[in-house]
Amino acid sequence: MLDLNEPLASLLQVLVFPGLTFALIFVLFMVWYERKLLAKMQLRVGPLYAGRFEGILQPMADFIKLLFKEVIVPKQADKFFFLLAPTFMMAVSASMLALIPLSASQVIADSNVALLIIIALLSLSPLTIIVAAWASNNKYSLIGGLRALHQMTSYAIPMSFSILGIVLMSGSFSLLAIVESQRSSWFILLQPLGAVVFYLAALAELERVPFDIPEAETEIVMGWETEYSGINYGIIMTATYIKFYALAVLFTDLFLGGWLGPAPVPPVIWTILKTLLVVTLMMIPRGVYPRLRVDQMLRFGWTGLLPLSLVNLLIGLVEIAYLKL
Amino acid sequence: MSEVTLNIGPQHPGSGHFRLVVSVDGDTITKATPDPGYVHRGVEKQAEYREYLQNIPLLERPVISDSNGSVYAYVLAVERLAGLTVPERAQYIRVLMAELNRIMSHLYWLAIFGIFLGHSTMFMWPFGDREAVIDLAQRAMGTRLTYSYFVPGGVRNDLPDGFKDQAIRAIEFLEKRLIEYNAIFMKNPVFLQRTRGVGILRTDDAIKLGVVGPTLRGSGIDADARKDEPYDVYDKLEFDIPTFPNGDCYSRSLVRLEEIKQSIRIVRQVLEAMPPGAFRARNPSVLKPPRGSVYTRTEAARGTYAYFITSKGDKTPYRLKISSPSFRNLPAFEFLMRGSHLADMPTIYWSLDYWPLEADR
Amino acid sequence: MIGESCLSNLRSHASAMRSGMKHLLRRRMTLRYPESKMELPPGYRYPQAGYKGRHILEMEKCTGCSICEYMCRNITGAIGMVPVEGTFPRNRKAIFPQIDYGMCVFCGFCVDVCVFSALNMTQDYELSSYDKQQLIYTPQQLATPPGVSGRARFVVTRGGAYHKE
Repeated sequence: MLDLNEPLASLLQVLVFPGLTFALIFVLFMVWYERKLLAKMQLRVGPLYAGRFEGILQPMADFIKLLFKEVIVPKQADKFFFLLAPTFMMAVSASMLALIPLSASQVIADSNVALLIIIALLSLSPLTIIVAAWASNNKYSLIGGLRALHQMTSYAIPMSFSILGIVLMSGSFSLLAIVESQRSSWFILLQPLGAVVFYLAALAELERVPFDIPEAETEIVMGWETEYSGINYGIIMTATYIKFYALAVLFTDLFLGGWLGPAPVPPVIWTILKTLLVVTLMMIPRGVYPRLRVDQMLRFGWTGLLPLSLVNLLIGLVEIAYLKL
Repeated sequence: MSEVTLNIGPQHPGSGHFRLVVSVDGDTITKATPDPGYVHRGVEKQAEYREYLQNIPLLERPVISDSNGSVYAYVLAVERLAGLTVPERAQYIRVLMAELNRIMSHLYWLAIFGIFLGHSTMFMWPFGDREAVIDLAQRAMGTRLTYSYFVPGGVRNDLPDGFKDQAIRAIEFLEKRLIEYNAIFMKNPVFLQRTRGVGILRTDDAIKLGVVGPTLRGSGIDADARKDEPYDVYDKLEFDIPTFPNGDCYSRSLVRLEEIKQSIRIVRQVLEAMPPGAFRARNPSVLKPPRGSVYTRTEAARGTYAYFITSKGDKTPYRLKISSPSFRNLPAFEFLMRGSHLADMPTIYWSLDYWPLEADR
Repeated sequence: MIGESCLSNLRSHASAMRSGMKHLLRRRMTLRYPESKMELPPGYRYPQAGYKGRHILEMEKCTGCSICEYMCRNITGAIGMVPVEGTFPRNRKAIFPQIDYGMCVFCGFCVDVCVFSALNMTQDYELSSYDKQQLIYTPQQLATPPGVSGRARFVVTRGGAYHKE
């Protein structure tokens, strides 16, 4: 929690750990980790030459390359919003990250309704994508942006419902209180269906396979990201991966007991280990599944995940009533 | 949104060298017109300036992933025209190489299907497993993809020592991989959702449109040039022609995977039954077939390949007409894409296994 | 999706995931070029099977008959006959083939047709250069012996296939 009476400590928290620097380093690690994991599953090598150890500096090299490339603004595009949209996305992702605690004392902005604010911020991200797509002045980008809008809106609802059971069980929206109430048992054991729904909805929010229709389609070259190049694109990519990291830590805090774990290992390390596990589980479908079509994806969200999340809520209510939680 | 015309052009990550003009209304395709011709090189005309033997490197290059399939029909046509007899060992070797090429081509097809569906593993694994067959080919024929191996009268060189053991190891490996592919690719629920019920070609429509190859067999029609007009030693070998009745993209995919299994079966029989002997007939290296025309048909990986050669008694053919399976499947594009979703366009396109270079020649 | 048979669907999902994750434990198939290179069959000499790489010209055997140039003339026209300084007992005209590797398609018909077995092929395949002129190999360049082949092979084992050094 930021203590404004100690400005230096607060500044270090925001900029170094668990704030900006740690997030960026973790994101760079995650990009490399994803490429290596996918490569291993596909029986190939992945990044190898950048950096002394198995290409660990490859994301850094990619980022520096993007810095050197020209930022192309299309002629008829709305220049102001075209350049603003990535920053907008970054602001949303970073705000989400600020609310999520890595341990009982390592949180930048705590609030009693942290979970509610996070859901609200997640619902704000389709707006940023529409701004990016519309400002590109490209009909392919617009198709991609509209698909992203449909997808993210449809999957935000099951995500919100899947955590209602947890909120009722722990009695508060604050993430610190939710993790504290998992001392007896983790919520993944009590609400497994909720965990599955949250996991699938998170995959859809992040536009990951099998839900990556807006992003990489064979006839709309890159969807709403088509016209972005150079550091503009670098900011979008960073924002996406920071959102990925934020949702992974959120999953850990909500379902896997956050920083709770046996003594000799410090709590922060527990959070990071569990987050790595969640991140691995979210990366594996990328190697196993093809892409869903738009209408199939929407049908799955509305008729598959939404009823499941309501069933999960019912199970949660039953557990509260009979197990006296 | 009102009707938008998309030009999925020759330079596009999802279309190969082929233009497809698509009119879209919202998410439904109202009209899809293929526009081939971007890679037309005039192969048929170029063949008129080359001798019969020199045509082989030219004619195997349109279909690079199945190069023996396209040359096989040419070689059979020239043999029929010039009245050459082929020794039996050469016939067995030719069947073996053609079937290995069929396996290679179908694995390549599966890989590119993965790209179109957004499944990167489906792209990487078949390309890796193809190495087993390409290694065999390199050992026997010297190069990896374009071999110039079939000549009128037989093949150019004999198989090396140790080929049979290596071949058996390779096909056992492929059989195990096919079981793996079944679990992760063919029975994958998302793959089923993307391909089942998509692009349905009914049996009578398939006959009316005149499609060939696995597209035809995926609509339930049992037509294969290896069984209808057997050439070389295909009439002595036991194999089935897989057909599936539904006519959707899923049936066509299943047909191709089944064909890999049948090719493995043929390769096993050929390796067992190969007789010793000569591998090339003695004939003049400058062929001058007598006047006449000939029409031959073979079954390459993508469908029926047919050649019509007219000779006026010279060293070079007077007219060489190639009938390639991708060109024969073009009417199916317009027919199948009407009324489907925009996202089904890559699925239907690649399930027809259209190879732009082969269609344009 | 709720309407379909959920259970068989879950089983297919589980087997697909299991198949994907099983490969996390397998050995990678990649050939680590250029640290390791493939072991190739010996060079192509008609009529034995062999690898079709760069040509090798045995200048003592070549008689300058130009049949190789005639064969290649209509295929790609990569072979041209050039005069070479010196006297050669079997080659009165003192002309030898030069091969333009920018045009050659490595079909090997020139090797097939050489009556004196003077032109064969080797295992060399690393022929790239920065300049198109350097791709035209003179007869003396063609006469240089080939390099040493690599050692990696594509092996098929029970746990999968990979390139073994």
